[in-house]
Amino acid sequence: MNSSLCLSILATLSLFAGSLSAQNSSEFVIPGPQRSFLRMAGISQQVTPEEVLPLLSRNAFTEGYERADHPTEFLILLRRYVVQARELTSLAAQSGMVIRVTNCDDATQLLRILGYRTRGICGKPETTLLTEDPERAFLAIDSGFPLPELEQTLQGGKPFEYPYSSTAVPVIFPEGDWTKASKKNYVELSKDLLDTILYDPSVARLYWALSRLDPETRTFLQQSVGVTKLLPYAAVIDFYGGEICVSSGKVRVPGGTNAESGWKDLVGVSPSSPAAFVTRLLAKDKGWLAAYFDVLSRASQEQQQYFTDARRLRFFYNGLRSPEAAGGAIRGAFRPAPGMLLLATRLRFDESGAPLIPGGIKVWQEFLSQSHNANLVHKWTRQNGKLSEPDDLVQTMFALSRAPTESGPLQIFMMISELDGRRAAGHHLSAATVGLLARKFEDVSDQYRIFSEFPELDDDSIAHFLEVIQAVNRAPMAYRGNASGILQANVGIWQILARQGQISTSHLNDSWQRVISPFSGIRSEAQVFEAGRTSLGELFRFSTGKVRGSQDEIIELLAGPEQKTPEGMRMHREVANRIRSVLDDQRLVSLDTLLAVGDGLVEKAKGNRPEEYVATLAAQTREFEMPRPIFTNGERTEWAAGVYNNHHTDTEMHSDLPKVLKSPTVSRAQIDDARGQLASFLRDTLVGLNYAYYEPPGAQALHNNPLFVRSHDFAGESIGGMKTLWQAPELVGQGTPAGGGAHFVGSLADLPYALASLEQDFIAPSSVQALVWAEVTPELLTSATVPRWWDTSPLELHAVALYQKAGEELLVASEKDEVLRGKVLDVLSDRLLPLRLSQVQHALESGQTEQLIPRMMPADTFYLAAEFQRKYPDETGALGSAIQELQDLARQHPEEVSWGRLSHDFGTPHPRMAQNYGLELLNVAPMPPFAGESNRFLAESWDSPNLYWARLADEGGYSPVMLNHLVPELTLAMIEKIFATDFEDWGALLRAMHETGAEFKEGKLGTQSRLSSARP
Amino acid sequence: MVRKGSLLIGLSLAAVFPGVKRACAQGNPDIHVVVNMVQLNVAVTDKKGSYITGLRPEDFAIVEDGILEKAATFSEGNSPTRSLSEIAAQGEAVSVPGMQVSPEDVATLSNLVNGANVFVLFDTSDYMYRGFVFAQDAISDFIRSLGTADKIAFYSYSRDLSRAAGLTADRGQLLRAIRSTVAGDQAALYNALLLTLKDAAQNTGRKVVVVFSNGPDNSSVVPPEDVAEFAQSTGVSVYMISTQQARLEPVSTAVFDRMTAATGGKAYFAKNWRDEHMAFNSIRDDLDHLYSLSYYPKVNPNSGWRSITVKLVGEKLKKYKVRTRNGYRPQPARFSAEGKSAAGGN
Repeated sequence: MNSSLCLSILATLSLFAGSLSAQNSSEFVIPGPQRSFLRMAGISQQVTPEEVLPLLSRNAFTEGYERADHPTEFLILLRRYVVQARELTSLAAQSGMVIRVTNCDDATQLLRILGYRTRGICGKPETTLLTEDPERAFLAIDSGFPLPELEQTLQGGKPFEYPYSSTAVPVIFPEGDWTKASKKNYVELSKDLLDTILYDPSVARLYWALSRLDPETRTFLQQSVGVTKLLPYAAVIDFYGGEICVSSGKVRVPGGTNAESGWKDLVGVSPSSPAAFVTRLLAKDKGWLAAYFDVLSRASQEQQQYFTDARRLRFFYNGLRSPEAAGGAIRGAFRPAPGMLLLATRLRFDESGAPLIPGGIKVWQEFLSQSHNANLVHKWTRQNGKLSEPDDLVQTMFALSRAPTESGPLQIFMMISELDGRRAAGHHLSAATVGLLARKFEDVSDQYRIFSEFPELDDDSIAHFLEVIQAVNRAPMAYRGNASGILQANVGIWQILARQGQISTSHLNDSWQRVISPFSGIRSEAQVFEAGRTSLGELFRFSTGKVRGSQDEIIELLAGPEQKTPEGMRMHREVANRIRSVLDDQRLVSLDTLLAVGDGLVEKAKGNRPEEYVATLAAQTREFEMPRPIFTNGERTEWAAGVYNNHHTDTEMHSDLPKVLKSPTVSRAQIDDARGQLASFLRDTLVGLNYAYYEPPGAQALHNNPLFVRSHDFAGESIGGMKTLWQAPELVGQGTPAGGGAHFVGSLADLPYALASLEQDFIAPSSVQALVWAEVTPELLTSATVPRWWDTSPLELHAVALYQKAGEELLVASEKDEVLRGKVLDVLSDRLLPLRLSQVQHALESGQTEQLIPRMMPADTFYLAAEFQRKYPDETGALGSAIQELQDLARQHPEEVSWGRLSHDFGTPHPRMAQNYGLELLNVAPMPPFAGESNRFLAESWDSPNLYWARLADEGGYSPVMLNHLVPELTLAMIEKIFATDFEDWGALLRAMHETGAEFKEGKLGTQSRLSSARP
Repeated sequence: MVRKGSLLIGLSLAAVFPGVKRACAQGNPDIHVVVNMVQLNVAVTDKKGSYITGLRPEDFAIVEDGILEKAATFSEGNSPTRSLSEIAAQGEAVSVPGMQVSPEDVATLSNLVNGANVFVLFDTSDYMYRGFVFAQDAISDFIRSLGTADKIAFYSYSRDLSRAAGLTADRGQLLRAIRSTVAGDQAALYNALLLTLKDAAQNTGRKVVVVFSNGPDNSSVVPPEDVAEFAQSTGVSVYMISTQQARLEPVSTAVFDRMTAATGGKAYFAKNWRDEHMAFNSIRDDLDHLYSLSYYPKVNPNSGWRSITVKLVGEKLKKYKVRTRNGYRPQPARFSAEGKSAAGGN
């Protein structure tokens, strides 16, 4: 946001920077040790005192209730724990807040509270503690009471002394504001804040929501509106309050000062009357106006100017509040309408500044009139005239954004916009292609990402691919899976080679067409094998110039471009061996064998006798053994019905290729059958190469379930009812012991993320209570597996480090320079939510920059330096040595230190937000969580780790190529250290990243790479 | 796992598949399988389940894929492991023609096999919620009951694994780790068991995994048969301690019974967690009375599953029951990644 900064605040509740906080309104004493309370409340042990009550409120609200107001077991235990902690506090109070036991007699009351008894003669070494009251004992254990030490005392050991001090934590506003606001403070309950939060979900939610507002806004609302009047809007503030900002007596609105009249018109109150404006904003249209305000606040300044134009602001909102769409914006546990956020933040514009409408407006008119939302569209056109202008289409997209779907017209529009927006002028998608993509979206949209990643693929290439898919879909079930699998595996290899620059840009279209063409006219399973073989040959031809190569050669290709330096060669070998290791553990038949046997069968068909060794080679297809069964077939049928159905593997197990090759009398049909059987093995090996390439660090299933690759179900044989087999794969069989292990059903699209999602559960957190973070971990792993650093120069690596250091220097310099500080904060406002921005401002104003810097995201400092340089090129000269060095480098090597180049080399994939597995830095503020798959927006908005690992590598004197080893290793170590309370806990990620970095600097990590530190 | 002195049996394609010309001609490396010394934990019991002690190496016949193997080392319970040549040199009646074990191997074994490496894996998932505190008491009792020579690790799991205490002889540290566990949510028993077995396999000497769980599993992505094979191939015996509650879920019961049997361990289903003493005694007795035999497999062209049968020799001994793992699968070692265990049968 570009408008004036939100605050000139002093006090701040620090969700981000514990030690940066200053004043607090009041304190509340939580009974018992903080460590125990945090365990019971599901809060990370690494939080600051300021974070305790907000996170307690969050957990009480989000985890504490099911079926309306029915408390969950989590909340019941937490409430019970508080009672036990109060009892223990009373006990400890008798001895100066220490629980003291010197002998067995002393222990009676304590043991009763804890729910334990002694076994054996108390005071003797054999004395042990046993559960007496399981309910109490559970609380004692779950809260981490030191029972072993107490037990030692009861065995005659030294006296037990356990300091049982209660913990004072800061409270937002005076405690009475909260307790009095609650309507649930029943007579039988004490009315303190803790009980209020634990028994009143609306108070808990409001507390959590207000804690995420910047302090000035929060205090203003408390004083001008009051907690009681805000209580009905707890949900709206929770979902959409983070961007509400009251500063200098008015509300900061998206679009800035120019848009204030528009907002006044929309809300009905001027932003200059902040109390009335905010309450109207929160109250209007069941939260939709607040949602609109929120998403527009998250758009870039340029996009805000478009959306908040005097006419458009209301025009688009009229679309959003379409009466056709039912329900409010605050129903459910997560925000609805993720598409609206995408629309506001990712809408693309053409060269004239108008919204980019792929294919032109007519194609969308036509498509919308035929789509399943046609009624809504018709209603729109009746009410608002025809869809004749781009703005009309954008308005319609706002209207459709409320539809709870992931494959509606808005999603189609955004996906195709991403595809088209990356194409150069004169190479935009044709109307016919856009129409085709739109019509096929529901069935194959996940495949489109490859066209976004490679905008060089033209209309013909896209149309041809969709035709080939159709042709494969027409194949009989018996070999449709093999055809689909081989096609997709080869496309996957093409994608890797193209991404790694091993297929030249000028040949992308040609090679693409050649790789997919063989699958367009398949009439038999034998032809599937031949198509796969021909297609593979084309991959070789375009990447090596040869028409045929060995399995080793293709592995070498996948491992990356040829390296010349010793460390480059070592890294290349390491990556290649990782691929080979997966193929080994999946026990896949070598491509060399399959092609040789294929040749032998061709000879056989010609009436020639294949050489002896071919039959011997063919015997390898019979070497694979199924794992030793634990279950009988009957048990599998009974216990894993619908899951365990490995038709593909069964077919392979029954094949007998050596027999065909050796038999003197064999018919043409038998030979064709044999070639068809080869297709199954070819599919496995080619799919295995894709799996192996994207192996996440720490993977186990890939190495310990030899059926994993073979079980990939491309045809929907193992599960009924799946209609979208060309979409991202779904995991089936998880937690079904008799089901033969989990496997994927669907396509290879989104494979890196799918594999990471599956393998993440093998990561063992280093903290007892930390769970691997299901929403974010796969994205972190994907960001460590997709990028490779084969052609990155040391200068680029150094530049990445310099950008981060330069950003830090700007922060330091702005501490004592108010004008500079304003500019720095203005730049950062593009990436930081108001609360974080206020914390940064406070730190800079109060001379706490040194403490601030470790709490800044590397992507933020990187962006700060880059954007500041762009906006104020003449003002950075003497601000710091890194800035100076960066400027010198930029003059000498403008291309290598450019944003575009570094974004490509050190960015991450954003398959959901940018519909692309290509690498880039997106420059967005952290996204909020949404329900379902859209929650990946949140994960994809974190770009920092690879930038940080690159900086560490540069500072440690590593060659860029070593990042191919370091990044997966450091990312895995970081994930193990994440100790987060919730999935928006970015601070936890930052802590884990810095802890990993510290271990790396101490030599505890990256030792293998350290052996060949590259730069002298 | 004993790496020192292991045999790398190079089975080139030319040897196994004499006609493989093309692969060699293209310069591909040969395919090898790595088969280290295969170590067996063998329990011998009578009809009542009482352990039979005092047996000698020559009382055992080890057969792998129908090939009679020659024992290389032998020990009983916690006694030091000795090579059969060493036993023979001391005048004991042992026939070891052709056996070659270096003194270094024997010294290593003697040092490492005393005491067992016991990995305790505790299910803290929702399924254990009601019995959580009682199970903790039981595990604490189990830890206390083990001999001082044994080293113990304590892990817990729900959806993820938590390595609460690495291998240690410090019982206090272990008890603190047990009491520090927290109740979790989903259960991924086989994922966690696989990771635990991998940790156990890194160690030399006798190693067992003792799982405290009532089942079921609702999150694992690896199936139990792969986990069982890994345990068999790395020579780790798996014991399962459950309550009758587990019997309510037939899938878990089947896995517990069969996986433990296949690895040479046992499954126990007591009435409740307070009543597991029989299981503890049994496991402790196993650790105290297991015979430890090892052998270097003779040349065996089978790169797949290799079955192992151990029988007692002589009419007098035939009435006794023998319990040990029933086979292993040597791992291909051709392209193993750096740092990855390429262990075969151990």
